[in-house]
Amino acid sequence: MQFDHGAVSAPDFISDQFDKLGYVVDEELSTILFLMLKLGKPLLLEGPPGVGKTEVATSLAKFLNTELLRLQCYEGLDVHSAVYEWNYQKQLLSIKIQENMHRSESEKEAHIFGEEFLLKRPLLKAITSPQAPVLLIDEIDRADEEFEAFLLELLSAFQISIPEMGTVKALHKPLVILTSNRTRELSDALKRRCLYHWVNYPDMEKEIRIVHKHLPDMQEQLIRELVRVVHTLREQKLDKSPGIAETIDWASALLALGYRELTEESIAKSLGCVLKSTDDINSIKLQGIASLLAATKIN
Amino acid sequence: MNPSQHFSGFSSLEQAIVGFGQQARELGFNVGVQETIDSLLAATSGITANKDHFRYALKAIYCCAEEDSEAFDALFNAFWNKRRHLIESKVNFKNRSNLQKKGVPSLVMVGQGKQEEGGTDTKNVSGANDMARLRKTDFSRLSEMDSKWMEEIAQKLWEQMSMRLKRKLKATPREGQLDLKRTIRASLSYGGDPIKLQYKNRKPRKPRLITILDVSGSMDKYSFFLLRFLFALRSCFEKLETFIFSTQLMRITEELQAKNLDYTLAMLSSQANHWSGGTRIGECFKTFNDQHAKRILNGDSTVIILSDGLDTGDPEDLARELKKIKLRTRQLVWLNPLKGMQGYEPVQKGMRAALPEVDVFKSAHNLDSILELEKLLMHV
Repeated sequence: MQFDHGAVSAPDFISDQFDKLGYVVDEELSTILFLMLKLGKPLLLEGPPGVGKTEVATSLAKFLNTELLRLQCYEGLDVHSAVYEWNYQKQLLSIKIQENMHRSESEKEAHIFGEEFLLKRPLLKAITSPQAPVLLIDEIDRADEEFEAFLLELLSAFQISIPEMGTVKALHKPLVILTSNRTRELSDALKRRCLYHWVNYPDMEKEIRIVHKHLPDMQEQLIRELVRVVHTLREQKLDKSPGIAETIDWASALLALGYRELTEESIAKSLGCVLKSTDDINSIKLQGIASLLAATKIN
Repeated sequence: MNPSQHFSGFSSLEQAIVGFGQQARELGFNVGVQETIDSLLAATSGITANKDHFRYALKAIYCCAEEDSEAFDALFNAFWNKRRHLIESKVNFKNRSNLQKKGVPSLVMVGQGKQEEGGTDTKNVSGANDMARLRKTDFSRLSEMDSKWMEEIAQKLWEQMSMRLKRKLKATPREGQLDLKRTIRASLSYGGDPIKLQYKNRKPRKPRLITILDVSGSMDKYSFFLLRFLFALRSCFEKLETFIFSTQLMRITEELQAKNLDYTLAMLSSQANHWSGGTRIGECFKTFNDQHAKRILNGDSTVIILSDGLDTGDPEDLARELKKIKLRTRQLVWLNPLKGMQGYEPVQKGMRAALPEVDVFKSAHNLDSILELEKLLMHV
């Protein structure tokens, strides 16, 4: 049973529900999600990698008890993999089968361009879905500008035209979430179609809550120390700053290894969970893990 | 405060929201009627009961980038606290994302006012005229303040250019041409129907671009920017080879691959300092031919030499070595910053000796001249 948007009466309701689903959402984001449900506008989330942008969409889908359709963008993404494609093998076979039937040319043509020969990709699926899904368009900054322009059209009209079939109109407007790591600036037109929210690394308290949500067995004190170290790491100039996923990975690694506290040894053994580049690991080791630990203990 | 209780001097909340939209527009936010309508809709959804919620909602509607956030908060607070005369002085225009694009007159005024106080903020609010001026300014004649700004603009423009180039170079069809022979062979197992199409895959040809930058004393001011330009190029030419020279040749391809540009530049400049002195282009090219050319050049490469051609060595050496390079390349480009000077003639011995071998001779003294290279690079 799908969730009724009208039942969401206030932003606080969203943050409560998300909390139950295991996603810690702050007041600002919950307000914006509330607004998104009310206005039906797409939401553009920008921020560094690993701050939980994608997770917003999955949680929203769970919250609304609806399907999540995900389109991962990449350079060279085209209509065939984003919108639809004809299943031409099946079409060819069908022509072969129909060879001995006495049908007119136009009937045959209408048959092979029917819906059963259409391979629906995420965007078309989102539009034809029987109940409004959450459509996640992930890392839109990686796609080409041509695709962005196409998306713009889709997001304003919510219809797709297929030359052989005609125009497909959305039965229900999907809830669209776009994410971007900001490797390039998106066009103003696209940004203006969307609600905008910059997702930053969480503050200490929020991150502790997040880790606690994921690893309820872990001691609060250990989580606190660990998050402090991660925050110290983020302040340094690293190639790849650790995201929230790294913090959680690291915490579960420590848990699995059976460490009860952060020591030089435990950090050295599990540093690979939080730093994902040799340069970073080397530079931290060069500085000395002891000094890293000392810096976090003082605060 | 509850915004629905007092309306910042307007008679109703609706009017105040419209007024807020106008105010934001005047201050350079890229907002239109749609944003105002959205804010009105947001207000009717019961979000106005909590001021923070109201602010978050309007922020999501009005802002287009993280940098807008600060200016928005200032505007919001000033407006809804009924002190509208303070708005213009309160709103801080540092780091605005799309101000440069818009050129709203009132903004420039704000910028000028600020100049007297601090002066550091002006770079973000100066109008389009300044930008055009800077793009034409010779790199060697930049004032210190302009230089910083120039660095930012240059970085941005070059990255855009590099992005465009990248796209052009990569925009090959996913599948190549139909391979009829193989399709027919494959169709045998389906009774002669071409069910599985076979494609000829195009062999990816990676462009080879070799850049040789002069970092001698006479090039000092230019090489600083040109090196940044090469850094921007490296993302779109996978096989970009870079050398620098003054009295000696040095390969810096690997150094340029590093992620941190500032670090790389600092390291290079500390090394390059040891070599100030004359420029021996001929000798350096000889080193290039002896040690690197065979491995790097394959007859289909493009070599770009960035140098002012002021040579203290023997011009005959230069001509001879350049001829050798020419034999192994498709295109030899010489970019000379001095060419941008009025009345410049390539009369120096070195340059005169080099010119017969050079396919393209262009200037590279300011931003515009470098951006013009895009066409050339597209066909590399």
